[in-house]
Amino acid sequence: MIPEGPSPVTSSPLQFFPWMSPSPGIGSPFPWLWELKPEERGLWLIRLLVACANHVAAGSLENANIGLEQISHLASPDGDTMQRIAAYFTEALANRMLKAWPGLHKALNSTKISSVPDEILVQKLFFELCPFLKLAYIITNQAIVEAMEGEKMVHIIDLNSCEPAQWINLFQTFSARPEGPPHLRITGIHEQKEVLEQMALRLTEEAEKLDIPFQFNPIVCKLENLDLESLRVKTGEALAVSSVLQLHSLLATDDEVPRRNFNSPPVSKTRVLQMTQRTFGEWLEKEPVHIYNPSSDIASSPSSLAPAPKMGSFLAALRALSPKVMVVTEQESNHNGPTLMERVIEALNFYAALFDCLESTVSRAPIERQKVEKMLFGEEIKNIIACEGGERKERHEKLEKWILRLELAGFGRVPLSYHGMLQAGRLLQTNNYDGYKMKEENGCLVMCWQERPLYSISAWGFRR
Amino acid sequence: IQDPSNANPNPKPNANPAKKKRNLPGTPDPDAEVIALSPKTLMATNRFICEICKKGFQRDQNLQLHRRGHNLPWKLRQRTNKEVRKKVYICPEKTCVHHDPSRALGDLTGIKKHFSRKHGEKKWKCEKCSKKYAVQSDWKAHSKTCGTREYKCDCGTLFSRKDSFITHRAFCDALAEESARLTSVAATSLNFRNDTVNLPHGFAGRGVQDVAGIPQFGSGFPQDFSGMPAPGLPEMVQMAPANLFGSSSHFPGFENGGATSSNSNNLSLSQLPQGLKEEGRNEGNLMESLSSLYSDNQNKQSKANASPMSATALLQKAAQMGSTRSNPSFFGNSFGVMSSSSSHTAPTFMASSSASMSATSNKLDKLMLQTGGKPSEPSLLNMHHPGSNSFAQSLTRDFLGMSNDQSPRPFLPQELAKYAAIGSTMGLSQFTSSNH
Repeated sequence: MIPEGPSPVTSSPLQFFPWMSPSPGIGSPFPWLWELKPEERGLWLIRLLVACANHVAAGSLENANIGLEQISHLASPDGDTMQRIAAYFTEALANRMLKAWPGLHKALNSTKISSVPDEILVQKLFFELCPFLKLAYIITNQAIVEAMEGEKMVHIIDLNSCEPAQWINLFQTFSARPEGPPHLRITGIHEQKEVLEQMALRLTEEAEKLDIPFQFNPIVCKLENLDLESLRVKTGEALAVSSVLQLHSLLATDDEVPRRNFNSPPVSKTRVLQMTQRTFGEWLEKEPVHIYNPSSDIASSPSSLAPAPKMGSFLAALRALSPKVMVVTEQESNHNGPTLMERVIEALNFYAALFDCLESTVSRAPIERQKVEKMLFGEEIKNIIACEGGERKERHEKLEKWILRLELAGFGRVPLSYHGMLQAGRLLQTNNYDGYKMKEENGCLVMCWQERPLYSISAWGFRR
Repeated sequence: IQDPSNANPNPKPNANPAKKKRNLPGTPDPDAEVIALSPKTLMATNRFICEICKKGFQRDQNLQLHRRGHNLPWKLRQRTNKEVRKKVYICPEKTCVHHDPSRALGDLTGIKKHFSRKHGEKKWKCEKCSKKYAVQSDWKAHSKTCGTREYKCDCGTLFSRKDSFITHRAFCDALAEESARLTSVAATSLNFRNDTVNLPHGFAGRGVQDVAGIPQFGSGFPQDFSGMPAPGLPEMVQMAPANLFGSSSHFPGFENGGATSSNSNNLSLSQLPQGLKEEGRNEGNLMESLSSLYSDNQNKQSKANASPMSATALLQKAAQMGSTRSNPSFFGNSFGVMSSSSSHTAPTFMASSSASMSATSNKLDKLMLQTGGKPSEPSLLNMHHPGSNSFAQSLTRDFLGMSNDQSPRPFLPQELAKYAAIGSTMGLSQFTSSNH
């Protein structure tokens, strides 16, 4: 009755229990081990995932391979939430492993066709299915309107211009101003020309309806290549910047400086000399910043910022334009840790909440949900786990770090107003978004799903 | 036009007022005549009609003056000798409190205003704060004071009235404390449900209605979010206050501690599989953990009616199970077994993998154990090394189908039954300790 088990290398979770026959029923005296209930399966998946990630991090690819095989029996992109999460995480881990053979990796990805309409659709789906973007737009617009009170000429730089609804909402608010709408210019930045064309069309149409003098300047380029000086910001214009989930990509850098040198003195004599010669901003770009001497834990230490030259120069250029307000929306999670395991654990927690929230909001539209999971979340997970260096763009960081960065770059915090929160709350209310919450922290707002913070919004002005 | 219905009102008997005394609103004189006007009549602005030219007037006196223009004898309303029976009016809206004759209102103008305010359309809007009114006199009165005097709470809410400001402030502090308490509980409990902070209804109403400084931006409320039903914004401020605070229960009592949210994150980060850290193995640990999973699940199924656990809840549970003393082996086993599975390459493979395992587990421990915990000891790996002879280790090795000879041997069901028996009795205690 006890079969001589298959060779130990063939893997299935059953190999832990080699007395089991492969099929249930006959010969399986304890069905509760075979028919894993969803929760047990979920717990197994978590443990297996973390174990596998450990192997990948350690470079023991054989073990990782076994782990992946084992997980594959339990995970599925069509299963329950945990199964789907596991599917995307294992894909990401596998991707990372594959990069050990660059030729293989390139060959496998060589015939990938990226479909622009699909990408646009997925963004639209995320906007419609979850309230996060809508909330971000409401709060951003409110901050802009308040900062622009009394201004006659307003210029908005939109770092990711893809959703007309964002600005149409602003048009309506502006046109209802007692002093009438300002002369409005929006510079929209996006990588895809079609998206900007669509934006231009819709926005000009709406502005005409509302009788707002309006101009849309499209700029087709990647954010990192944006030359702010070419934006033709006119004197006398009041400038606002809207950054919704964009800034973190500027943290990508090829030079990964190891951040564990806590024991070495932060500043040596030669460095002191150099500091006096360079500006603080330049120094910031090159050195990791230790505000205080942290303890021996390396994870999520808010005091040490990863060096990010692109961010430094971008923020400096932005500050030189003297914007009246800049509203920054970012993912509230630390996916920029130096080690893979840090990122895996943080990402697990973050995306579990996102998957849960998406599931509860759109349980009745599985295809749309799957699209968002696969093409949006899945891609982000892949980037966080499988990529390094300049390729790893999804460098989410928590609000406390953004505050540090922006303050160091010379920006001062502009507290978000209560009215924005009221409007946001009303949005959640009128659309029956159950389980979502907005929390206020020091004048910034955090959007949460069931107590788990997911996105943060903060507003900044330039400090003289 | 008037259809007086002489329904007998049955209010509590009152002493006969010798002089005119103002009753409490809605507690009419028991002898009064109850008049029920239709909504149309009530809202009619010109009730007094000239019979000649049909022109309407708001007041009888004005009508009389007008009739003189038609060369009609104008009738002076004489003060009648008999005592005029007092008239009281009921609200035509059936669901209204004042529809009951015992709660009728004594003044015609009063009932008209009441009807407009409560059941009518708000046509008058304040320029400064977009607050809307149904009665013009209300609107005028408000406009005079709007923005003149403001009180501001720490949470940012504005008030024009001192009393409502004070009331709000009293509760505002309580809200801040309450939400701070709630979030610290949240980090440790499973399947934390959204405990909305229930504000006393009265307070919530006052607080919201008195926010004076809401600008007209509200009128530009998002209407173009495609796919969204247009969120009609009839009254920005006068919506059911309980609703406003219902689903987004964290404002106006804002969370002041940024620490709370980051704490909960750190918590989950640090509590994920601590199983890598190895402490001494106690006998029956493994079975405890396995059967507790089973009994956990059983109980949850019956409790939760088979509603699936969310991924976040699963992660929390995994973290908890990893962190309790009785469970370290559970995770450790899967970890260990994976490497032992390729035992056909036996010692060399094990040695190298054990080295890497301890390295990564050390890293992971440092990572995980922020809230205090011990770094892993190499004892995780002892179970795979021959020659270690503690009872616990041999027990677990047996369970995993590995005896001292390191080759997996088929596991006899009788042995499994033995373990299951040991485990199941302990399972319940595990369950109760981990379930809040």
